[in-house]
Amino acid sequence: MNVREIMTKDLTAVESDVPVRELIFILDNAEMPGMPVVDDDGRLIGFISEKDLIRAALPGYFELLHSASFLPDLNQLSKKLTKIAGDPISKYMRKEVFSVREDEDDLHAADLIIRKDVMSVPVVDAAGRLVGRVRRIDLLRHFL
Amino acid sequence: MIVTVTLNPAVDKIYWVDSLRVGRVVEEEFLTRATRSSTSAGGKGVNMSVFLSQLGMENVAMGFIGGFAGHVVARDLRDKGVTTNFVWTRGETRTNAVVLEEGQSRILIFLGEPGPTVDGDDVKRFVRRYRRMLSSASWVVLAGSLPPGVDASLYRDLATMAREAGVKVVLSAGGDALERGLEAGPFIVKPDTREERLLGGKSLATRDAIVAAGRHIVNRGQAEIVIVSHEVTGDVIVSRDAAWEIRSSVPVSDLKNLVGADDAFLAGTLFGLAHGESMESALRFGLAAGMVTAESEGKIRGDRGRIEAKMKQVTVDRIS
Repeated sequence: MNVREIMTKDLTAVESDVPVRELIFILDNAEMPGMPVVDDDGRLIGFISEKDLIRAALPGYFELLHSASFLPDLNQLSKKLTKIAGDPISKYMRKEVFSVREDEDDLHAADLIIRKDVMSVPVVDAAGRLVGRVRRIDLLRHFL
Repeated sequence: MIVTVTLNPAVDKIYWVDSLRVGRVVEEEFLTRATRSSTSAGGKGVNMSVFLSQLGMENVAMGFIGGFAGHVVARDLRDKGVTTNFVWTRGETRTNAVVLEEGQSRILIFLGEPGPTVDGDDVKRFVRRYRRMLSSASWVVLAGSLPPGVDASLYRDLATMAREAGVKVVLSAGGDALERGLEAGPFIVKPDTREERLLGGKSLATRDAIVAAGRHIVNRGQAEIVIVSHEVTGDVIVSRDAAWEIRSSVPVSDLKNLVGADDAFLAGTLFGLAHGESMESALRFGLAAGMVTAESEGKIRGDRGRIEAKMKQVTVDRIS
């Protein structure tokens, strides 16, 4: 089957200048863990997820630690999130974004989802414009 | 590609009952059990998107959604093959409750909620997305009520943006939203006459009144085509050159559920026009589509074979 036949046909996306606080509102209400970033022509230019924002709110030295369990709770996460709430998401989004074309095989989408360990992959047309996304469940539910 | 805009979509809950008893005094409390019910995404533009998708026509449904009901709308539309591009807003998408009597098409109750309040930031987000869609759209449908908090001139602004992008506009609304929307000169206007039968301040009570009101709008350059529902099985259409009455010979007794039938009519008409059909042919297809939907218990029935067969029961008469 090709991607067009199984994909979720939803164009929910954000622009790169949208502030972090607005993105959090959209992710929460749309119940999406991540979202494509598009330009004013609807072309896919990035991807931003809950993980990207959490990573942005963690202190820089965290990657050096095996665990944060010994650190005192100083509301570091909330303070940092408050600090970055007004930042444009362009500061934290992934610019090297992978996607599938709508005429590609669903196997290619499945392979990307597993290899990249992601929950969904944006789908684009021949001009690179967002036309939907393939979620993990989309690969499975058409068998029902 | 067609873009439908339903700024105030709904979850349509339809209940069928054997009979409905309504309490008239405080002591009266009746429990009416529905024999069956259905739940679906609703709203004029949304219904049109469902119809167009059923006929395989590419379209995108836009508007505002929120809360649990918003997810019901989004999920239902995606399951029906409609591409969605809604802006999430605070508050809960509204629910319409419709009660039909078993075996009758008469709507006993149609209870509509106002919808969630939409603020200026939500509108800005929407307009940005909408502008993005215009580059690949050939038609835009602006349909239905405006949610609380939205300025009555928004349809006018959206129609103006579409026209500037070379996109044809269909406007189906009522009240101030309609009157201001006319200022942008949509290609087709179809007033929502469920609450008041007025267009440009003029009455639409009779066929002649419709023709006069329609001419007034067209002559002022406020629309190219005016379509007004006149009877259950007919409409009056006014253009610059002529006025027509389009009727179906389907008996009213054959109708099962009128919810969405008018939207199927408009969507069918748009389907024809988007495929290069003449206005007369498109209207014939549209009314046949409305009748097929009305003869069905489901809300929207985009069955091309049945629609084309039903066209034989549609007449288009020039009335001036």
